[in-house]
Amino acid sequence: MTSRNAGVYALLTIGALITLAPFGLGLLTSFTPARQFATGTPLSWPHPPTLDNYGDLGGAGFGRAAAVTTLMTAVIVVGQLSFSVLAAYAFARLEFPGRDKLFWVYVATLMVPATVTVVPLYLMMAQLGLRNTFWALVLPFVFGSPYAIFLLRQHFRTVPNDLINAARLDGANTLDVIVHVMLPASRPILVTLGLITVVSQWNNFMWPLVITSGDKWRVLTVATAALQSRYNAQWTLVMAATTVAMIPLIVLFMVFQRRIVQSIVVTGIK
Amino acid sequence: MSRRAPRSATLGYALLAPSLFGVVTFLLLPMLVVVWLSLRRWDLLGPISYVGAENWRSVLTDPAFGNSLVVTVLFVAIVVPLQTALGLGVALLLARGLPGSAVFRTVYVLPWICAPLAIAVLWRWILSPTDGAVSTVLGHRIEWLTDPRSALPVTSAVVVWTNVGYVALFFLAGILAIPTQVLSAARIDGANGWQRFWRVTLPMLRPTMFFVLVTGVVSAAQVFDTVYALTGGGPGGRTDLIAHRIYDEAFGAAAIGRAAVMALVLFAVLVGVTVVQQLSFGRRVSYDLT
Repeated sequence: MTSRNAGVYALLTIGALITLAPFGLGLLTSFTPARQFATGTPLSWPHPPTLDNYGDLGGAGFGRAAAVTTLMTAVIVVGQLSFSVLAAYAFARLEFPGRDKLFWVYVATLMVPATVTVVPLYLMMAQLGLRNTFWALVLPFVFGSPYAIFLLRQHFRTVPNDLINAARLDGANTLDVIVHVMLPASRPILVTLGLITVVSQWNNFMWPLVITSGDKWRVLTVATAALQSRYNAQWTLVMAATTVAMIPLIVLFMVFQRRIVQSIVVTGIK
Repeated sequence: MSRRAPRSATLGYALLAPSLFGVVTFLLLPMLVVVWLSLRRWDLLGPISYVGAENWRSVLTDPAFGNSLVVTVLFVAIVVPLQTALGLGVALLLARGLPGSAVFRTVYVLPWICAPLAIAVLWRWILSPTDGAVSTVLGHRIEWLTDPRSALPVTSAVVVWTNVGYVALFFLAGILAIPTQVLSAARIDGANGWQRFWRVTLPMLRPTMFFVLVTGVVSAAQVFDTVYALTGGGPGGRTDLIAHRIYDEAFGAAAIGRAAVMALVLFAVLVGVTVVQQLSFGRRVSYDLT
């Protein structure tokens, strides 16, 4: 039995090494002086370890890209959660003509793939004169997501009627009920949706790539791709860029790892 | 009740208004616009003109588009079975619940959390023939990404590497949901580990398997970031996945109408795949044990 466990550990460790090695080597390279990398063997220990590569990213516009990415992600997360909560409450708790048909329409849009809408969305943004603006980055995502609404609706339906009626008797209006009854009762699912939205928006690439140009509204993924194609052989600099693009989410993941792992299973998003 | 209904209706529509605007404008309208665009010519800057079925004719007879469909099918055929099998394997190891399993689980999901674009750039360095990590370790250069024979398998491997931990999470949840008495019953009946896996665990995982396969196919068929940064669709179109072809057609060749046709073909294929999987798999997914 113990030898069997040893075998399991051996396999798990090999898997972990295969998973972590690329990150470790990239991180190592990002601390290596460019000259050492060019003249010595690429995998030698940084001598001395340097932050120069990270400093050079500032000149390549990464500070601004990080700020744009953060702002874009924040606006989308707040908008998407707020508007999804409102819609989910309407679908779960109110009765009005056409409710179920509308809900069916929302669910049907889950079948619409992002790859298919990029081209027409580009035309629409161009017609509105919104190419290369902050609005173009956030508008397609900020008004809520059918999937979040779908999950929240299921959750809101399980909130006991007594809680809502008690609040009503105390004179609460609908907004009070949503803020003081529904939201506290749905904390885990809200955190889940928030985290998943942060991950998918922070990592978004295709839409920002096509709808922005130049430095002004460039996000981190686009900046990393641009840097890679411009300084193709300067891997120390490029590895610093990939580290900057990945590290905020890795930190977020470390802090919330249990929650995120659950989130993935609950939502199955991607 | 009847006096309250209209108020409730107004309130309902008011609460739905923002998301309904989003759904109509950014999900439904684009599906109409893409059909409209497929019959037009537009170069991103100039005027838009009606060209009838010309885009459809030229795309459906275009060898580059045919190539990208074949490449995408091959890519999906490599990625989905591999990531599913490896994900199931990892889940079986993690499900033993040995001390430290949670740490391994976290490690395995890490690549999936990171931007696919950044992951692709990282691997581009690792596989770089002159100063990459693999060439340095092996001591001689291998043209992983520019050799027409290895480019697609290697690109697929990077995507599998990214997804295994993510897929494993679903199988792990599925395995832990199997009632222990079912497995003990099989053990009492004399089933060995191998038989318990094939006769009990795997059939009980059918709903998970269905989910993992459907979402796996749909997302693999749309991979873009990885190809963009790893190979740019090359060499000679060997990794020109359909999402990359659409991007290149629209924003490289400025042929928006043709890109719209390709996007619609992709949409039709994805809907078709989902329906077929639903029909062949969906009927018998649930096991009622009560």
